[in-house]
This record gives sequence, structure tokens and C-alpha cells, in this order.
Amino acid sequence: MTLNRREFIKNSALVSASFVIGFNLPTKGMAAKVEKKKEVIEPNAFIKIEPDNKITFYLGQVEMGQGAYTGIAMCIADELDAKWEEIIFEPAPVKDVFNIPGMPMMLTGGSMSIKTQQQRVRQVGATLRYMLKTAAAKKWQVRTYDVTTKDSFVINKRTKEKLSYGSLIGDIQDMKIPQDVKLKEKNEFNLMGKRVKRHPIEVEEKITGTAKFGIDVRLDDMKYACLVQPRVFGAKIKSFDDSKAKNMPGVLKIKQLPNQKIAVIADYWYQAKKASEAIKVVWDNGDFEKISNDDLIKIHEDYLNKEDLPVMKKDGDVSKAFDEAFKTVEAQYYFPYLAHAPMEPLNCTVHHKGNKAFMSVGGQFQTLYRATCAKLLGLKPEDVEYYNNYLGSSFGRRANPSADFVIDAVYVASNESWPVQTLWTREDDIKMGYFRPMTVDKAKMSVNKDGKITAFKATVVNQSLVKGTPFEGFMFKDGIDATQREGLESHPYNIPSHDLKSFCPDLPISTLWLRSVGHTTSAPVVENIVDQAAIASGIDPIDFRIKNMNNPRYIKLLENVAKQSNWYNREKNSGYGVAIAESFGSIVAYVIKIKVENNDYKVQNVWAAVDCGTAINPLGIENQIEGCVNFTMGYIKSAQITFKNGAVQQNNFYDYEVNRITDAPDNIKVEIINSGEKMGGIGEVGVPPMFAAIINALYDATGKRYTNFPIKLG
Amino acid sequence: MNAIFIDNKKYEVKDIPQDTPVLWVFRDHLNLTGTKFGCGLGMCGACTVMLDNQAIRSCQTPLSDAIGKNITTIENKEDKELNSLRVAWREYDVAQCGYCQGGQLVNAAGLLKANSKPNEQEIKDAMQGNICRCGTYNKILTAVSSVVKG
Repeated sequence: MTLNRREFIKNSALVSASFVIGFNLPTKGMAAKVEKKKEVIEPNAFIKIEPDNKITFYLGQVEMGQGAYTGIAMCIADELDAKWEEIIFEPAPVKDVFNIPGMPMMLTGGSMSIKTQQQRVRQVGATLRYMLKTAAAKKWQVRTYDVTTKDSFVINKRTKEKLSYGSLIGDIQDMKIPQDVKLKEKNEFNLMGKRVKRHPIEVEEKITGTAKFGIDVRLDDMKYACLVQPRVFGAKIKSFDDSKAKNMPGVLKIKQLPNQKIAVIADYWYQAKKASEAIKVVWDNGDFEKISNDDLIKIHEDYLNKEDLPVMKKDGDVSKAFDEAFKTVEAQYYFPYLAHAPMEPLNCTVHHKGNKAFMSVGGQFQTLYRATCAKLLGLKPEDVEYYNNYLGSSFGRRANPSADFVIDAVYVASNESWPVQTLWTREDDIKMGYFRPMTVDKAKMSVNKDGKITAFKATVVNQSLVKGTPFEGFMFKDGIDATQREGLESHPYNIPSHDLKSFCPDLPISTLWLRSVGHTTSAPVVENIVDQAAIASGIDPIDFRIKNMNNPRYIKLLENVAKQSNWYNREKNSGYGVAIAESFGSIVAYVIKIKVENNDYKVQNVWAAVDCGTAINPLGIENQIEGCVNFTMGYIKSAQITFKNGAVQQNNFYDYEVNRITDAPDNIKVEIINSGEKMGGIGEVGVPPMFAAIINALYDATGKRYTNFPIKLG
Repeated sequence: MNAIFIDNKKYEVKDIPQDTPVLWVFRDHLNLTGTKFGCGLGMCGACTVMLDNQAIRSCQTPLSDAIGKNITTIENKEDKELNSLRVAWREYDVAQCGYCQGGQLVNAAGLLKANSKPNEQEIKDAMQGNICRCGTYNKILTAVSSVVKG
């Protein structure tokens, strides 16, 4: 990876702001200055070093289980030679300096944390280490060549004297910030590329109950709110009777919010919840009340069978290819609405203090959420102090451009004297949407006598994820949502003729990206239709894939999983399935082995091969792949959202059945291939091929193509 | 008596309505937030604590059932089984988002108190009520098994 020096210089006003701390850094000019007023200043930086050698990293990427804190901190700590175990993490405040490079906001999503941050945080770490070395060398009156660094100390190579980084901050405060400091070579890495466990301080918090999530925010005089939310999408409140609820214990206030919800504010959340159940609402459910799941499927399927839909990709001559084909295969696929159901129910805490406000939440969109709060309270964003906590998982749910759970909390706390924590029930989480949309696809593929794919036709129909949001402008064009293209248009196969179409029906059901987004449906479509084409052609599915692709990265992964799984000598009486998909810049291949028994199936083995370019933390990657496999299993086997009379039928984990330990594969083996290509993401990339491999393995075991999710046998 | 004992500390609870689930007694009345709310129906296990050494779902246990009893939560630093499990949790790098892990650890500790040598199926049966949305199940199984093997 080459260092982009030009960009570093260009951004030096921003980046230099992060070199040294315990004192503030200027945004102009190249010298640091002491912030005299406060001993510990408001951070305007990535790294803070204090006189007692305490080192704090300010991280703009949020931690929701994906390991962003550990991965990014590894990059900084390695270049800085900071003592790993003692580094402290602080969530960064909302400041432009923490924006994703090239984007106007802070956000955590698209599996981009480490790949977008590593270069600049390494540069900051390396530059600071260089400055500390220079300062120490000057003190000892030796050449910088004669000093080295380890575990947050500079060491005099000759005398073995040591100076802590913290003892040198006075010496670097007026030092000109050097540019073009060289990053470590691979062979100098102590952390990067090694199997590093999640940072020990974070682990300790998470195994002793001291980790603070948004739901754990406790402020002086804080009150709690529970909401009454509509159940039919688009419903409006006609009237409500709170005569009983308002006299219940602990209830302080009941108010209708501008977004068709009613809030009960009480001393304690359980009181608020009890009272919310006692409110009788007369709803105007509108026309959508007449709609049930079969209607929704019909709406989608009607579009699926139209020819005049927006064209995603058209080349070659599909009709001719189909006419002349040796074999053609076709299939239709159904994917239900899915709720993310993050482990920590949605919540946000807001304190409206006149012309200022404070908010504390676990969110993936710091800049947007703060701006939303400011806008609704009539304040400027900088008048809202934002704190980001750990996220009790998310899978995209806390990356909502519509900011739903934040808006609720702001409305609740608006013009109240207390800070209020608004917390959703699990039922609200399951029933109130922002779902991975229902998706109906059809696909057709032709193969010639030589076993080469000649044409691919597919249509995808699902609601847009971005229409009506701030993302619409750059993600929705010519009737096509960019997430519909993911994985479908960008498949790895050499195919001369395409006819790919899509359509986004308008429905009042709210939609949102779920971990790996469009790939959750495109990977099973592409990788299953290819599998069908292979089998129809009488060619081994792995051989067929390799025969129809050029990219050596894909081929290497397929060969890897073939070898790991002993593919060419597969066990009888088991079902094997293969799939490969690229998402967020990384490629993942799986072979899975399943056992079908008593009208049910169980995944026994998963053999995975991952190429994310360069692995910063192989152990973290293994953990994410294992997590993705298990996460996806629940959606493969059981979880789905269905509608009756305009409302979601499922309620809680008893009828929205996510994966449990008994569903976990017996064995998941992950091999990482460092191709050295451009770095890709990891948090989501294990999901797409899992959705696909299962269809192929079930076919191998049963001779049936199960293409409707969730997949129940019989 | 109007007190409960949480992690060896006595808390007066006479002013708290007796039908309040102990989950909310910890979290909101006493500001002990280590124990988590996940579903409110005993379906996810995030709120698991031990009541007199038995794993229970605190969202389904009214305060009246806990009066005078000893409650062990994830915040307990002295419990023998919890500490053995923590060693394994560090070793196998189990936690991801961490939200369910308190419930997982306490539930596993409850299992080990009832049966110090569970086999793999017994571990799975005991842990199947604890959801982990991040999907750390393979690591959980490995970690608990390692404690059993000693």
C-alpha cells in the first residue's frame, strides 16, 4: 500500500490536529500550542498523551461488535509503538476531522471502517512517534538513529535509558510537525497482520457488565419514556384516552408526538411501559389495513412479469443466446421482509437545555443524528453535544438515514426539563419496520455445449432503501436503487449477454439496509442460478465456476475451499454446497456440508476462504466470518416478517425466530488469503455467500431447489 | 424483611412496588446496568442473573420473589464459576458487541453450579435460551467446554 503524501499534506491542517494532546492543536500553521485554560482539553485529535503516559485514542468509527475499535487502534498503536494493553478508547465527538475520508460525515457502515481509516491513522501514529523520537534524541544529544521506541517509551539504544512518551509532550509542543514520515514496513509490524484479540479493556468491560451501551446512560434526574406506536404502516392517531394511564404510578407526562406516536414519560421505564399499555388509541389505519402478505407478494410478482422495467444492464443478445443454448435454467426467488432485531433494543437519551442540548446514543451516523436533533430543537448542530456509546449490535438498524429512533427521543425530550431516555420495546422493534425489504427475483441462464455461460437474464423487484432519504440523490437513479445493482450487475462470471432489470414499488412499509444490503438477495440468485447451470451442463459446480471466470482471486478461493472440504471426494449421504461472492471489496467463498434429517436440516461444516486484500487482524476476520454464518442461519431457517391487515404478524423472539446456539454449525473453518490487492471490508462480507450455499447444499442433499426464504423442508 | 442482596451487597427495596421485575429494580431503581433488557419475555436470556445460585430470567421475576435472597449478576467479581468462565472468554476472544455476553456468562455459571461436568449437548441445551445476534455461539461453546475440561 503506497502512502498518499499529497493528500496528507493537503489535509495536514486537519491531520496535524491529532498529533499531540493534553494540549490543543491549531487548525492553521504547523506548530502545536498548549491549551492553557484546561488541563485536559476537549479533544480535537486522534491521540491524547498525558504526562503520566496515559494514551487515549479518539475513534470516530463506532464499535458494534465488528471490531472496529481494535482494528483501527492496532494500526495507530503499531505505528506509535504504544503499549497495547494500556491504550484507552474514547468515542470521538462529532467533528469534521473524523469524517470518512472523502465523505461529508462521520459514519460507520459499508464495512469500511478499517479500510478507510487505516492509512491516515497509521500516518498520525508514525508522525507522532517520529516527533517523540526526535525530542528524546535531542535531550540525550544523540542521533535519532540511536533511539528506538517500545511500549510507549523512547529508548536510548546505547545507554538503555528510557523516557516515557508522556514525559516528552512538553518537548514536542512547539516542534514543527514533520511531513512524509515513513510508515513501518511489514516486517516491522508488531500488531498489524497478527492474530490480535479484541482489546483487553473492551473485553473486560464486556465480561463484567461495565461496558456502557446507549441503554445504560444514566443522568441526574433522568426520566424514562415508553412509546405507543402504530401497528399498521401509515396509521394516524384519531384520538386516544389516557385517563387511566395518567394516574398510574410514576407517570409524569403523556404526550402525542408529531410522528403519530404517543410517549409516556415516567420515573422508571417499567412504569412508563405499564402505563403505555393502558392507553386506548383510536387509529385511522388507512387503506393499508386491507393489505396482507399475499397481496404484497402479488404486487411484487406483477412487476416481475413486466418487460418494460428500468434496465440495469443490457448487452449482447439474450434472446439469441437462449434460442441457441445447449441448456437453459430458470428460477424464481422469494425473500421476505426481515427485521434486524439488534440485541440492544433501540434507544436514545436527550436533554433539551434551552439553547443547548445533550444527546447520548449508540448510532452509526453521528453527524446526521446530531444534525437531526439540532434541527428538531431549532438549534445549531454545534449546540448539541453528542456522545456515542457502544452499540448492542446493529446490522444496519442504527444506521437509519430517517433517524427514526433518534427523532422519537428528541420529540419526547423537547421542551422538557429532564433528560429523558426513550426506549423501544422488543415488540416495537419487530413490528415497526425499517426492514430489509421483501425481494422477488427471477433469473434465467443459458450455457453452450462447451460449458460456457452465454446469457444471464434477471429481474429484481423490491422497495427502494433510499427513496425519500438524504441518500436518494446519489443512490437512486433512473428508477433503480443502487443497492439493487450490488452483486447482480457485478458478478464475477464472463457472460457475453445480459438483460438485467429492476423495479422499486412504492409501499408504506419502511425499509433499511440489513448487513450486506443488496447482496443478501443478489448472492443467492446469482450463485444458485450458476449452480443450476453447472448441474444442467453435467459439470462439477466448482469446475464450472472456474471455467466461467478469469479473476485469479476468485479462482484461488474456490480452489482453497475445494481443498479444505475435500470437495472432489465428498462424503456420501451429506449435502454439499458451494458459493462465492464479493461485497464491500472483499471476496468470500464457502463450501458447506449439511445433514438432512426428519424434515429438517443442520449445517455441520463451513469451510471459508476470505480475500480482503490485506488482513489487518486475521483473528478478527475469523470472528466476523463465524458471526456472519450464524447470523445468516437464523434468516435462512426461520426468521421472517409477514403482514396481515397492514400490520406485522410477528411480535418478539418467540415468533421471530433468530439463530440460537443449537443452530450453529458444528465446525467453521476460515482461511485467509492475503492477495495484497486493495483492502476490502469484513463486517458484512460473510453473509452473502451463506444465503447462497444453503440452497445449493439442500439441492445436493434432496434434489429439490428451495428458493423461497426462510427455507422449510417438506 | 425488605431487602435483597445483589452481589453480596444489601439493598433496601421497601419503596419499590413488589411486582416490579428485578431486571428493572437493578437497572432503573438501583442504576445497576450490567444486566440487560433484551425482550421482556424471558425469550432471549440477556437479563439472566442467579437467584440463590440458580440462573433465572430477571425480566420475568418479580421483586417479591427475590426478597431476602442472594442475587448474582454479571457485575459480581467474586463468583468462582463466573471468574473461570471469564478466563475462557478472554482466551477464546468470545465477545463481539458484548450486549448479550453478561447473560451468556451468568447462564453458563448457573449451569456449572448445577452440573460441573456437562457434556456438549447439555451445554447447548442449557445455553439455547440465550440469544447472541452477533453469532458468537461457536466460541461460547468452546469457552464453556474448556472450563468443563479444566
